[in-house]
Amino acid sequence: MASMWKEFSKGLWAEIPPFRVVLGLCPTLAVTKNAENGLGMGLAVIFVLVLSNALISLVRKLIPKKVRIVCFIAIAATLVVAIELLMQAYTYPLYQQLGIFVPLIVVNCIILGRAEAFAAKNPVHLAIADGLGMGLGFTLSLTFLGALRELLGTGALFGRSVMWEGFKPFTIMVEAPGAFIALGGLLALMNCISIVSARRAGKEVPVNAGGGCGLGCCGTNQ
Amino acid sequence: MRETAGMIIVLSLICCVSGFSLASLKQSTVPLIEAQVLKNVQGPAIAKVYPAADNQPVEERKAFEVEGRKIMIFPYRQGGKLQGVALEGKGGGFGGDIGVMVGFNLSNDTLLGIGVTTMSETPGLGTKVAEPKFTGQFQGAGMNVELKSKGGSIDAISGSTVSSVGAVGAVQAASRDYRALKEHILRTWQ
Repeated sequence: MASMWKEFSKGLWAEIPPFRVVLGLCPTLAVTKNAENGLGMGLAVIFVLVLSNALISLVRKLIPKKVRIVCFIAIAATLVVAIELLMQAYTYPLYQQLGIFVPLIVVNCIILGRAEAFAAKNPVHLAIADGLGMGLGFTLSLTFLGALRELLGTGALFGRSVMWEGFKPFTIMVEAPGAFIALGGLLALMNCISIVSARRAGKEVPVNAGGGCGLGCCGTNQ
Repeated sequence: MRETAGMIIVLSLICCVSGFSLASLKQSTVPLIEAQVLKNVQGPAIAKVYPAADNQPVEERKAFEVEGRKIMIFPYRQGGKLQGVALEGKGGGFGGDIGVMVGFNLSNDTLLGIGVTTMSETPGLGTKVAEPKFTGQFQGAGMNVELKSKGGSIDAISGSTVSSVGAVGAVQAASRDYRALKEHILRTWQ
């Protein structure tokens, strides 16, 4: 139980995607125009990530090492097509909003990264905990980023106007450059918090806080 | 040798299971997706084509057949009388097919208007085919619409010739189906 909690909770802060591991930036930057899109994308990723982690962990001993990547991709692609069909059937407006980024979950590095780095080496219950934690972290990040951009860019939150009257929205925040600005700002803030908390604890200040993927999965991004 | 066989077997097995589960999921979601598309894509386009209609074109739709293809026809009524019908045509655009809902006036065979349903054109360029400036040109036009460059009356969007050709092609395709079906439509609804 303790180990499950450990695997689950690491996705929520210590290795929260995409801020800490900086993987899966393509959907992060592209769909976070508003909080609702971020949340929808995050939920789709949770579905795919938890199930792909569980399935891959189940069959990890059967998969020959040489074709493991192909097997992982086949499993992830199946799940993505499934979620695409389900979204079309039940939440069509959201599907229209997310468009091409739903099928692109297949090549989201978080899915393959977790499969290769975790699910292929760990038992099912830990793989599910890991997928759930990572997926939830991704959802929280995307929703937060989307909310921030929506708030500054349109003065609304989940489609409801929340800012004071006379608030002039920064339209750039809901355009493509706003995604980079918001993400950069958040990364800087998180690194700042890490450095301050490390100093408080009397530990050595990490030179490259936030870049510590530590799993050999860095350097590949979509 | 055994290693290779193992790889082939495992990968084939995974793909077989994937294929079968996706095929069954696809089959079971077909009616649901169709309903969603009607509500979210075709419904708004139909409403745009003939806003004066006082019936529910989507609910009264009927499927007809032309050369083995199934075509949905949406009837427009005003004051209980059948004024026109709408059907969807497709034409090849820049990023795939452009779907256009075309309304036809049954009394004089002119176009009531068009509304774009599906497309994957370049945002800001090809997507202009869905804007009133372009679609408005079709209102009241005859059945044989054509771009100005080909001797017709429709202004293409500058910089998006392929998309314009695709949209006009979709209208022409719908016109062909309408011509083939007109008798049948009148017999069914009047």
